[in-house]
Order: sequence, then C-alpha cells, then structure tokens
Amino acid sequence: MTTAEIKKTPLHALHKQLKAKMVNFGGWDMPVQYESVLAEHKYVREHCGIFDVSHMGELIVEGKDALAYLQGITINDVARLELGNGQYSALPTEDAGFVDDLIIYRVGAQRYLLCVNASNIEKDFEWLKKNQGAHKVTLTNESTLWSQLAVQGPESEEALKAILGPEDQKRIAELPYTNITEASFQGKKGFVARTGYTGEKGYEIYIPNTIASSVFSELLEKSNAKPIGLGARDTLRLEACYLLYGNDMDETVSPIEAGIAWAVRFEKGDFLGKAKMEAQKAGTAPARKMVAFKLEDEGIARHGMDVYVGDRKVGVVTSGSVLPTVEGAGGMALIEKDAAALGDKISIDVRGKRKLAKVVKRPLYSAKVK
Amino acid sequence: MSFPKELKYTREHEWVRLENSTAAIGITSYALEQLGDVVHLDLPKVGESFKAGSTFGSIESTKTVSDLYMPITGKVTEVNAALVKKLEGLSDDPYVAGWLIKISFASNDGELMAAADYQKLIAEEE
Repeated sequence: MTTAEIKKTPLHALHKQLKAKMVNFGGWDMPVQYESVLAEHKYVREHCGIFDVSHMGELIVEGKDALAYLQGITINDVARLELGNGQYSALPTEDAGFVDDLIIYRVGAQRYLLCVNASNIEKDFEWLKKNQGAHKVTLTNESTLWSQLAVQGPESEEALKAILGPEDQKRIAELPYTNITEASFQGKKGFVARTGYTGEKGYEIYIPNTIASSVFSELLEKSNAKPIGLGARDTLRLEACYLLYGNDMDETVSPIEAGIAWAVRFEKGDFLGKAKMEAQKAGTAPARKMVAFKLEDEGIARHGMDVYVGDRKVGVVTSGSVLPTVEGAGGMALIEKDAAALGDKISIDVRGKRKLAKVVKRPLYSAKVK
Repeated sequence: MSFPKELKYTREHEWVRLENSTAAIGITSYALEQLGDVVHLDLPKVGESFKAGSTFGSIESTKTVSDLYMPITGKVTEVNAALVKKLEGLSDDPYVAGWLIKISFASNDGELMAAADYQKLIAEEE
C-alpha cells in the first residue's frame, strides 16, 4: 500500500498534535500509542480512556423485510431486539466461516445499524447486497459520515456526562449494556451505545465527522479521560478474550470454533452456514476450539505460532501478548477439540523454543462491562 | 535522547562500551523509544560465543520482537540478570544500568560508529 492510499480518520491531525505514534492498521493511519501501551492499558482499567475508532464501519439496513433479511444472514436472533437494543453477532459464509463479526443495533422500527470492522467495510457491504435476494430493504454504507469514539473504563460514565446536557446525562446513566440511544453532542445529533472492546464499562459514541476532533478534545478537557492507542486496545480486548477479525477468526473459522456458540441462535430459523454449525456443535462435524492460555515459561507467544501437546502439533496461537492486568503473558489459540482441556499443559513454539503454557478459563480478565 | 560520546554504536541500534578486550553491549535510547514498552528480554547464557552480526537474543515490546545482533565476535562473560527481572531499568538508564551482556573478544571485527555518525544515521531514518 502506498502512502497516497492510506486512509485517515477526521481525528488524524489531533492525534499528531497529541504526539501519538502512528501505524498503518489495515490501511488506516492510526495512533498505536500516545504515551505507553502499558500505561494506557492500566489507565483504562483504573480510570477512563478515549479511543478513536472512526475507522469502524456503519452499515444501515432499513425496510419492510429488514428483520427477515437479517435473520437469514446473521447468527444471533435479531427478533429479540427491541427498539434501542443491540447484540453481538456475525455474518457467516455458507460454509460457516466469518465474513465478519459485528454489533447490530435496532435504531428504528424497521431500521438497523450494523457496526462492522474497518478492514471489512466494503466486503461486508458487497456481501449484504449479494444476499439481498427479494427482500425489500435499503442498504446504505454510512461509514464515511460517522466518526466513532470509544469511552471506556470505570470512570467512563462520568467522563461522558461531562460533555452532555442534563437529559442526555440521565439517559446514558440508565442505558443498559449493549443498548443504544440518541444524544446531542455540541448541538449535533449522535448516538451513544453501552458497548466496548476493553472488558470495562464503557460507551461507543457515533458523531458527525465535523465535530469529531472537538468532541474528543472536549472530553480530554472536561474529564479525567486520556487518549488511548490501538496498542492498548489490543491488550485490553485480548485480556477480555474478545475476538479480533483477521487474527482470531476469518472465513476459515466458524463461530462455534471461535467460542461464540452463545451467540448462535439455531432456534430462530434458517440462516447461512446453519447446518454446518449445528453439526459442529453436535460433534458430528469436525471442529477446532478456541482456548485461552497463560504461559508458564518466560516469553511471549504471538499470532501464528504453533501449539503442541507433547510432540504433536495441535493448533495455532491466534492472539498472544503480555497481559498487563492479569500479569504474565498469554492469549488465545485455536486447537484440535480433544487435544487439551482446562488446566492441561500445552507448549508453544516461540521462535524455535518450546514454551510451556497452561489452558485456562476464558476470559483471561473478568469483564466488568455491566 | 542522549548518545554518550565514549560509546560506540551499530546500525542495529546497539551501543558498545569497549574496555581493552572486553565490551558491554546495550540498546540505544533511540531504539528504546521506537520499541515502546519493553516486556521481554531473551538473553544468551554465559559462555556462549557469537560471530559479529549474528543474533544473540531478542527484545520484545508490547507489539514487536526485534533480534539483538552481536556487534563484535566474542564470548559472553556476564548477563544482566537483574535487568531481565526489572525491564524498566532499560529506559530509565539505557547506557549504564541497561547493559544487556558483557563479552570478551579477540579482535575488534565489528562495524562500529562514533556517536556523531550514529546520530546522523538515525536522523536519516526519521
């Protein structure tokens, strides 16, 4: 990718001004850290951080058949969404792989907001169109219209309240986990969702691009919040064992294998990839499983490193890092289903050296999101 | 960032403190700033020998792993075990407490630079 093609969020100039170290993340020039990944990670766990996640995509599905259409192309049960509710879900392939994982919010009687991964925006939008069939829905890619900020941490509610009017303050205080509501930012209409990717209580706000920098600055000025880069975003989400598309799963991994069977609602009716997922869950089709692990030897396992039980290769590390809050190092690995159970020892080939690790419960860090 | 004049430097962003036929080896403050938080150091054992330019260990930050390259052909005589346990020492004091290994060598076969030349090199990299 040449520098001419690299994409920038509306907050790019502000990141530079805040002395962020920038990296190319899936074609976007994004802040990896402002100060230090470890310090930023800790600050989110203990206080509050603001993340620029404007690269994320916003796709709108609207129309008479919106519910029936979404039911057929997602894994979770969209019929359970009341107005203002959101749910974690995935767009599966016919073969039960992930086209993407996403959050679906019901923002109108027949209108849904799909929050998708930055690197998959175009692919997802094409997928939605390709699978539209005879459904009466209008599909709109609004990704370039919205900036998205994540406000995360135990003090996130106070931080967000500091820049909202009294009515919006009350509304976000009462907002249940995964729900979304409208709110006014600097006189402009936006949305606040009680979701996040850190394992802490938090919000993701959708605001027009024109006020993105000024809202970010206002949060920094009026609250305890600090800017947090993608480096800490990755260590925070890994401790909470949230999946990262392209690392933990892609079109070759199924939601059952990836450990989100809880979000697969077979009872809702037919959907893409259902037969294979059902067979995987029943054990009649081969499936790997996602496990969390902690290293017992010194060292750090990274994405792509091979996992062994004895001398037999049983899988691969999908995400690995230091675990700043949990302490030590660990991550997630996709391994053969019967290769290792909770508490069992595995070993990981870290650049030619076998490092002992232990399979532990997911998540590595108990989320305090509610 | 500072680059003490009494030290020699390599293209791989290591510093070398030469004393007769022994040398202490560390990482420059520039390299540490580029790496970010260092979370793991993999160092060799006392007694191991390495050729100039070969890998003697690795340094790992929150996001990346970088190999450590031997500046001069030699044999490891001491390893900074205290530093491995307390990695903050690296950025706090990269040129004194932050030494990684000490070696003995027969002849100085490394391509070492003076501080001024090293500063020129990193100015070009920026």
